[in-house]
Amino acid sequence: MKVSPAIGRPWLILALLLTVAFGLSASIEPWFQSWAGSRTESANILDVALGDSRRLFARHVYTKADAYFHSGYYPSMFDYNQQLQGDRLGRQIGLEAATDEHCAEFLGPSHDWIDRFSRHFYPSRHVHLGEDLSHSDHPHEETHHDTPDLDHAHHADSGADHHDHSAHSHGDAHDHDHEAEAEHGGREAQLEREVLPWLRFSASLDPNKVETYVIASYWLRTELDKPEQAERFLREGLRANPGNPEILFELGRIYSEVRHDPARARNVWELGLKHLIEQTTETTDSDRFLYAQFLGHLGRLEEEQGNLARAIEILTRLLEVSPRRESIESWIAEIKARQAG
Amino acid sequence: MKAATLEPTSLTRPESVPNASTPVRLALGNVWAMAGVVILELRRRKDFYVLFVMTALITLLMGSVNFFNESGIVRYLKEICLLLIWISSIVIAVTTAARQIPAEKESRTLFPLLAKPVTRGQVVWGKFLGCWLATGICLVCFYAFLGLISGLREQAWPVAGYFQALLLHWFALAVVVALSLLGSVIFAAPSSNNTITLVVVAGILLFGRHLNKVALQLAEPTQTILYWIYYAIPHLELFDVRDLVIHNWGVIPWGIWLAALAYGAAYATIFLTLAWLRFRRLPLT
Repeated sequence: MKVSPAIGRPWLILALLLTVAFGLSASIEPWFQSWAGSRTESANILDVALGDSRRLFARHVYTKADAYFHSGYYPSMFDYNQQLQGDRLGRQIGLEAATDEHCAEFLGPSHDWIDRFSRHFYPSRHVHLGEDLSHSDHPHEETHHDTPDLDHAHHADSGADHHDHSAHSHGDAHDHDHEAEAEHGGREAQLEREVLPWLRFSASLDPNKVETYVIASYWLRTELDKPEQAERFLREGLRANPGNPEILFELGRIYSEVRHDPARARNVWELGLKHLIEQTTETTDSDRFLYAQFLGHLGRLEEEQGNLARAIEILTRLLEVSPRRESIESWIAEIKARQAG
Repeated sequence: MKAATLEPTSLTRPESVPNASTPVRLALGNVWAMAGVVILELRRRKDFYVLFVMTALITLLMGSVNFFNESGIVRYLKEICLLLIWISSIVIAVTTAARQIPAEKESRTLFPLLAKPVTRGQVVWGKFLGCWLATGICLVCFYAFLGLISGLREQAWPVAGYFQALLLHWFALAVVVALSLLGSVIFAAPSSNNTITLVVVAGILLFGRHLNKVALQLAEPTQTILYWIYYAIPHLELFDVRDLVIHNWGVIPWGIWLAALAYGAAYATIFLTLAWLRFRRLPLT
């Protein structure tokens, strides 16, 4: 069939363009697949769609989890000057040392009648998940009555205070939780599950945000009684953050407190302690706190296993960093007495 | 879609107003008849159906995600669903209200309408009532879906809380519809009115509550000016009780709730009066 030149020319151009496109794609594709900036290796749709910018959203999503933990009572960016610095959710579970002001109010007294009136239409009272949320005619005024009790609940649950004390008294974090809950007149069970979606989203957006794994694992292990899910999530965190001491510490707690496997707990904690010492170039309060937690739990574990000499050795190291010297000294004395007897 | 706007506004007197003998009853009949046309128009348009299906699909999709094998997690789902409901309802309210008067002018159905005789005030009130009722019907569908989804998961049916949230939301939309109608007699095109109204409404919802805090940090006279703006704007964020619904804060004291409705009604009336005053002097040609 003879094709006239007028009709054939566009087809020839098209064929040429297709050949050029095919040739270019064949040469560029192998380079693209090995390019470090390629997102095609990730199976995570958020990773592909957002790239590294997803980390910007991770903080917001993590904050959402904290807001959920406080039943929506959370400072906005406009309350920044009055809001509390740091990680409230982290402190709540003992991830950071507790401070006196961490339960303080951010709303303060109302500025005008619109402010006063509007507080009926959003959460304006400091509560935690499961606590009594009934409305009052004076939402803010009630807050001041509630605060001391809630402060007590925080202190009972968080910080070095809790860990040193619980280690000394051979108690459990939950004993304290439940005491505080009883003082609040009881609470709805397992509502902590409501923070989990946001922590899951946060981990998807920023796999290197370690607190996300630790906090989700804490609730899964304790209130929600899902240690296998907690361990799985922590292992996911370990894959993204190899050798992270905080994750290893939480993993050790699962082996120690849930699985009752002291050998594995010891191995994990010792590994975590080793990584903490290796990774720490500049000691911060947070590092010192984690270090004390490792030593406190290892000391208790060795004591329970009857390795009293090892327990004394570890607690002597704890003595150097713990703010509660007297309680540690009396604990060491107690172990020494057992050793002598 | 065009057919709905081009269709002549039929002012057949409804059954509910049989003998419109007195001027008040006649006016009410006219307003009601125009409102009926607006509702009919929204029923014919696809806006609501598209937004409702999108809201339902996204909510169901998010609801199908498994988080650590925990089946009772519901608050994130309520949050997503309520956010979509608020966005959808505001879009429906603004776009529906913004095109009413310009469409009547463009299709030249406004002239026979005003020759019925229907006053310009009745046109404004009729359009407002129609848009407000239409958004109310949409809201009932949206909240029924939300209540069903959260109720099935939570095994709790806080009807009073949902009722309060729905009514507050509806009254917020009354202010939005009135604002949009005012915009439709000020701005030249519905598109510019849509954009400006949406920006203003979003701005109030996001920042309205915090203007006083910002003002207190500024020097005079900016502080006073910003505080006056804070007092003057309709605080639509008062009607946004999503956090109370999501976290099961229970029922707002009924007196406070009624006061909020009255606050919304007052602002809607102010904007409608301004729209009527402007529309009264507006040349139609």
